[in-house]
Amino acid sequence: MKELVVENLSKVYFDPRLGERVTALDGVSLRITPGEFVAVAGPSGCGKTTLLNLIAGFLEPTSGRILLDGREIDGPGPDRGVVFQSYALFPWKTVLENVAFGPRMRGLPRAECEARARRWLELVGLGHVANRYPRELSGGMQQRVGVVRALANEPEILLMDEPFAAVDAQTRMTLQEELARIFEERRPTIFFITHDVNEAVFLADRVLVLSKGRLREEIPVPIPRPRRWAALVENDSFKALVGRVLQAVRTA
Amino acid sequence: MGPGPPDVTALERLLGLWLRAAERWRILATLGPFVPLLLLWWAVAAIELFPPAFFPGPLEVARRALELAWKGILGAYLEDSLIRLLVGAAAGIAVGLPLGLLLGLSDRAHRVLWPLVLFFQAIGDIAWLPILIVWFGFGLGTMTFVIVYTVMFPVLMNTALGVRSIPEVLPRAAASLGASRARILSEVVLPGALPNIITGLRNGLGFGWRALVAAEIIVGTSGIGFMMFDARRAGSVTEVVVGLAVLGIVWSIVDSWILAPLEKATGERWGLVAR
Amino acid sequence: MRSANRSDGRDGLPAFFWAAAPFVVLILLWQLVVELFDVSPLVFPSVPAVLRAGLDGLADGSLAAHVGASLLRVATGTALAVLVAVPLGMAMGTQRGIAAFFTPLLRFFSVLAGIAWIPIATLWFGYGFGAIVFVIFNAVFFVVTYNTVLGVSTIPIELRRAAASLGAARLAIVREVLLPGALPNIVTGIRTGLGFAWRGLIAAEMIATSTGLGYMLFLARDFYRTEVIVLGMILVGAIWLALDRLLLAPLERRTIERWGLVRPT
Ligand SMILES: Nc1ncnc2c1ncn2[C@@H]1O[C@H](COP(=O)(O)OP(=O)(O)OP(=O)(O)O)[C@@H](O)[C@H]1O
Ligand SMILES: [Mg+2]
Repeated sequence: MKELVVENLSKVYFDPRLGERVTALDGVSLRITPGEFVAVAGPSGCGKTTLLNLIAGFLEPTSGRILLDGREIDGPGPDRGVVFQSYALFPWKTVLENVAFGPRMRGLPRAECEARARRWLELVGLGHVANRYPRELSGGMQQRVGVVRALANEPEILLMDEPFAAVDAQTRMTLQEELARIFEERRPTIFFITHDVNEAVFLADRVLVLSKGRLREEIPVPIPRPRRWAALVENDSFKALVGRVLQAVRTA
Repeated sequence: MGPGPPDVTALERLLGLWLRAAERWRILATLGPFVPLLLLWWAVAAIELFPPAFFPGPLEVARRALELAWKGILGAYLEDSLIRLLVGAAAGIAVGLPLGLLLGLSDRAHRVLWPLVLFFQAIGDIAWLPILIVWFGFGLGTMTFVIVYTVMFPVLMNTALGVRSIPEVLPRAAASLGASRARILSEVVLPGALPNIITGLRNGLGFGWRALVAAEIIVGTSGIGFMMFDARRAGSVTEVVVGLAVLGIVWSIVDSWILAPLEKATGERWGLVAR
Repeated sequence: MRSANRSDGRDGLPAFFWAAAPFVVLILLWQLVVELFDVSPLVFPSVPAVLRAGLDGLADGSLAAHVGASLLRVATGTALAVLVAVPLGMAMGTQRGIAAFFTPLLRFFSVLAGIAWIPIATLWFGYGFGAIVFVIFNAVFFVVTYNTVLGVSTIPIELRRAAASLGAARLAIVREVLLPGALPNIVTGIRTGLGFAWRGLIAAEMIATSTGLGYMLFLARDFYRTEVIVLGMILVGAIWLALDRLLLAPLERRTIERWGLVRPT
């Protein structure tokens, strides 16, 4: 596992229609240690997606650097798995083929790719839909596939951009618990973006509050794991932390 | 602390200007891509990569077009072509629409006639030309038949499709509200199928325009297609290109200013187009 | 308006019967009219005359030669056009700005597809194979390019990004995302383009060559051989119908169905 370091990162968009520049990120620095779960919360338009896209390598920074294990990143790569809000499953591939995609791109033998994909699907209880197409699945199931597809590729760090924002509240809580369980068992490094303060506190070891392109506050979440909603909804320290993060997001 | 936003460069300013202008005046967005094309054309012609007689430049073509327009030839031929298209299209709709309704409303008619429709549509306009010439000779009868034939099928097929895709509950609902058969036809079936009918009309006119040109090239005595064929016989590439340009421009205008908005309007009004 | 209750097999009659029966009736009607009104063979042929013309053509091999020549031209022009159009359309489609900028140009030239190019094609290439292949190329090329651009630019950018972050290299992205994502549009484009091309072919062959179905039709007109004309028309229709209904339409339906038609937006 490797450490992710973001140094003084800025991103300025040029909006050609307005002929203007928009500063989306302004000198952001952060560090994520291996096996850590970091959530970024902040109001809409504060630059969360921009930050994630920069780390994923989808965008080029205007200035600053992003280092993974000491090496500056150069475009997207399999060391950083991404889970998208829109799921982004390949509609012309079956669930199994979607999950096997990453290993296949690495040139692993087909049988091994499929075996690995199947193992991961079983893990989240999706073994029975392996041969279906994504459109035949509910939103919650599709996003499970999205998460598993990223994990099956064994990235150094998992980048998730509001992955559960498009599913209903009930399913969202199930997915959050599932992600917490996977994290507790396997300890991947996760960089998680959300505007849902409850979600941030429930999942993360540390919540970063972003506002107008700058990091405003860093709030550690010392709640012990395993975390489950049933136990936490009435938990006072959880509620206090949620209040603190909410306050930070509001006033930032 | 990152550096402040760098200044907007001149190039970016230009891009912004273009995008805003193109948004305000849609015509700019349509014409824009032709500028580099014309420049490229001009450059290739100017360095005489091909012999000028074979590959005239845009200026030459424009000059010839103006000459032809000045002499009145271009206008007269264009008028001939458009009138043929209009008359043919009107007749094609007059035949295609009722037939389409019949095929849409009656399962039996659909079952019996649909294979024939498919087959005759597959023969296509052009293959009819030889026997039409035998029947009507070179001239108006042949050309009218070709256009009517070409316009008819897309109208017919799309109308049938439109009628058949109306949810069955609608006419039932209308009937249970006491509507007569004629009222159901005019209040439910026709409006429901209208978006498809317009699409059929648009396709039909597009095919009809092409068929007209082909017919004029092969059997014509006037019209833009004839002008091109005449120029071909005289070996004047310039005049052939004038014809090509006129064909493309006229059709683009008709299609994007009349037919496409019409199609979009009916589709949107009925909530069938998602965007 | 009719619901899904129209199943051709339900009443025990195969769909083939329902497709063939109208033609049998039509042919009988045709023969009846010709005999009843004593139609001159110079105006319209009888059924046996057309059959005889077909058998003669088969016997002396001229029919196969004409059909073969036409199909070879279509295949050559279409293959060339698709080979150029698909990569070009992909390259353009991945750059959203470029795609939007050039779309009106592609539309303009799709309008000119096929037939209108015949005069200039014959001036540039002379009469023969080159001119006709050029006409077919034009009919297919712009439509397929336009549709490829359309297809590629409607692929959500997340799909490309997902592939890249799963380790797909440039070529793999083309193969695994762009090509399959644009395939329904590409197939639709090929189907439309071939429709234009087939018409253009017949028209071009009437003018610019000395073999092929179109030539056969036009030559027969010179000698008032209506039975050959009608035979040619039937062949033109039947070949296109077979190509379209047995090959292109199922292909289009299958890709669209497999892709689920609904793209994530
Ligand atoms: N491609 C772009 N071009 C120009 N401006 C952009 C572009 N993408 C984002 N922006 C601007 O940059 C700022 C940050 O956008 P970003 O998408 O990162 O916000 P966000 O925090 O993810 O918001 P949300 O919670 O709504 O997803 C916004 O002001 C947005 O308008
Ligand atoms: Mg966002």
